[in-house]
Amino acid sequence: MCPMIEFTNFRHNPGIDPAMHIWGWEIPVYLFLGGLVAGLMILAGFRLLIMRPNERQAMVCCTVGPLLGLALLSVGMLTLFLDLEHKLYVWRLYLTFEPTSPMSWGSWILLLVYPALLANALAHLPEALPVVARRLPVLVTISDYMLARPRIVISTGLANIGIGVALGIYTGILLGALGARPLWSSAVLGPLFLFSGLSTAAALLHGILVLTTPDAERPEFADFLLSMLSRWSQARPLDTRIAPTLAQADNSFLTIELALLGLLLIGHLSSTAVHQQAAWLLLTGPYAAVFWVGVIGLGILIPLSLQHLELQHRIRHTIAPAILVLTGGLVLRFVLVAAGQASHWAPMLD
Amino acid sequence: MNAPFFKYGLFGDEMSLVVAFGIGIAFGFFLERAGFGNARKLAAQFYFRDLRVLKVMFTAIITAMVGSFLLARFGFLDLSLVYLTPTFLGPQIVGGLILGVGFIIGGYCPGTSCVSAATGRIDGMVYLAGMIGGLLGFAEVYPRIEHLVKLTPLGQVTLAEQFNLPYGLLVFAVVLMAFGAFVAAEWAEGRIGGKAPDADSLLTPARKFGPARKFAAVLIALGLVAAFSGSPYRTALAQVDTRQLALEAGTKADHVMPAELADWIIEGRNDYLLVDVREPAEFAAYHIPGAINVPLAELKQDFARRNERIVFYSDGGIHAAQAWFLIRALGFPSVYMLFGGLEEWHDTVLNPAAPPADAPAKDQVDFARRVAVAGYFGGSPRRAEGPALAAPAPAAALPKLAPPPPAAPPVTKPATPAKKKKKEGC
Repeated sequence: MCPMIEFTNFRHNPGIDPAMHIWGWEIPVYLFLGGLVAGLMILAGFRLLIMRPNERQAMVCCTVGPLLGLALLSVGMLTLFLDLEHKLYVWRLYLTFEPTSPMSWGSWILLLVYPALLANALAHLPEALPVVARRLPVLVTISDYMLARPRIVISTGLANIGIGVALGIYTGILLGALGARPLWSSAVLGPLFLFSGLSTAAALLHGILVLTTPDAERPEFADFLLSMLSRWSQARPLDTRIAPTLAQADNSFLTIELALLGLLLIGHLSSTAVHQQAAWLLLTGPYAAVFWVGVIGLGILIPLSLQHLELQHRIRHTIAPAILVLTGGLVLRFVLVAAGQASHWAPMLD
Repeated sequence: MNAPFFKYGLFGDEMSLVVAFGIGIAFGFFLERAGFGNARKLAAQFYFRDLRVLKVMFTAIITAMVGSFLLARFGFLDLSLVYLTPTFLGPQIVGGLILGVGFIIGGYCPGTSCVSAATGRIDGMVYLAGMIGGLLGFAEVYPRIEHLVKLTPLGQVTLAEQFNLPYGLLVFAVVLMAFGAFVAAEWAEGRIGGKAPDADSLLTPARKFGPARKFAAVLIALGLVAAFSGSPYRTALAQVDTRQLALEAGTKADHVMPAELADWIIEGRNDYLLVDVREPAEFAAYHIPGAINVPLAELKQDFARRNERIVFYSDGGIHAAQAWFLIRALGFPSVYMLFGGLEEWHDTVLNPAAPPADAPAKDQVDFARRVAVAGYFGGSPRRAEGPALAAPAPAAALPKLAPPPPAAPPVTKPATPAKKKKKEGC
């Protein structure tokens, strides 16, 4: 029925272009979780470094954050594994180190994240979760050993910050290294994903603090669940004095993220025609609604103004900004991955 | 600048969603300022303790009503292009009851639940999650209950048409009704709810002319102006600007290519009205799927709603062009004609010609796609020169194509198989 077109080469063969759209939900979810964990690491490392001896209660940043980070990173690596075509060959990534390959850097950084996060969590675990420490006395030994040696604490904090920055930037470089997709070929993607990760991490910790703060309007079942949890873990109440600091930090991260997004788009708009086309995909094209509403509006501007009002004591601290920032970070990864795959160098067959 | 902005093409489909987001945020902000993020305040209206929901909503209705009437009267807004939701009496009563039950149980209506969630209230978030779940569930079962949802259709109804009253008079009547409702609400709040009247209440003796009274006086005055200012709809004669029509006719902006129309039909788009202006007998013999038949002689101002996107076609191009000019002159803003008419439809969609063997690869790929489209419409391709591959004479084969029933919706087939076909290579 159809004439012979075997002689076609380049992109005229209709079987080629659709095959380039190969990344589904796994990669954006991994990029989001990777950025979130990077943010949690940096905040945890920072908190560990600046903590004074008399304020040991750094539970939300230094214990809850790293423990959550370990769980979230495992989920993220699972999605990465699901995306692999040849799942059984995953171990081969760890037989070599290629300095020119972002994938190789990433797989080794991901391995380093686990011990760093674990060390950070262990430093204050016994005082934060006494019930766990009583069952496993070795945790007390480790914690005492670390806390008695300031050098170990300082190097743990620095390692968390350093590896966190590397992880956050690497998630952006991973996309940026693929020059075939003009939307991604920008060095701004690295810092953009780093600061987006930091803002989601600060928002997550702020949300956890707000959720556990006593509140008259909270439904009774939530109170019941929280009291069950605290009775079981015998944990001390979280240090809510840090909530305004986290909200403030989150606002700074969101502002920087907004500026970096602007830089990314300006960079593309002042570049070649294919880059401009890629930027218009987000600005007015098929991804415009998701980009402006999901990323800029709901993901950055609304939480920014809500947290600003919170810091001015005009409204209560609520979990609404946390939910919005987390959703916005996820949508940012989805829209950049999808629009990036839609942008290409030869827009002849549109 | 003429409104409605979307209908006049100020922004496209994607940007309209961004604009909608901005309007939604502003709406939510004012709802929050009115105290509607709090379920206790919302529920108070059912006990007559606080009827501010009624007051705010009625104020919004009459402000928008007077405002859009006057804007239309002064020529900034074309009211006939504003979308009116069609009325399906029975299903809408049932839907209203479900909404009311949800309102009483949950303490929110859809808009206020978003406000409540944004202010961090957990009950609002639970309500919002339930609402989104309900939306998804409704979308899933919609194909099965579509016939129920479309029972008792009354079309696009307006109060003025229903009561056969002049529009302006109706606007004034609604303004008066709203103020009657405000007074009744304040009376009920005092008598049944036991609430002390506000300082600025409409019921207390007027010693001071406070802001509420000033606002009320302005609205009543504007309503009175509306009552005597005639119809807000533009007359057909005022629209004809022959020079502009001539300029438009000179461009190709009013054409829809047959291949484009074929894509619309396959995609299942329903945002246009395809009109066959040939005689009923010809229409019965063959027509493009989804078309309605309005012979050229029967084209009148009320043959369709003015905010439809209308595509005319005839055998060649002449009758469609005449229809285009007639309807465009009657002030319909988005009117198109099928380029080349049915003849072009046959040549490019139903029986696309195969490119010569030495044509560039792009043409070959393009042809493969058009073959799939032709298959969808029951046609078949022909060689570069000579008769069609399957049917010897295209003209004779055409009437045999089974025409779908005239009232059938534009697309009866889901779009996915067709899309699959499109991607098929060799």
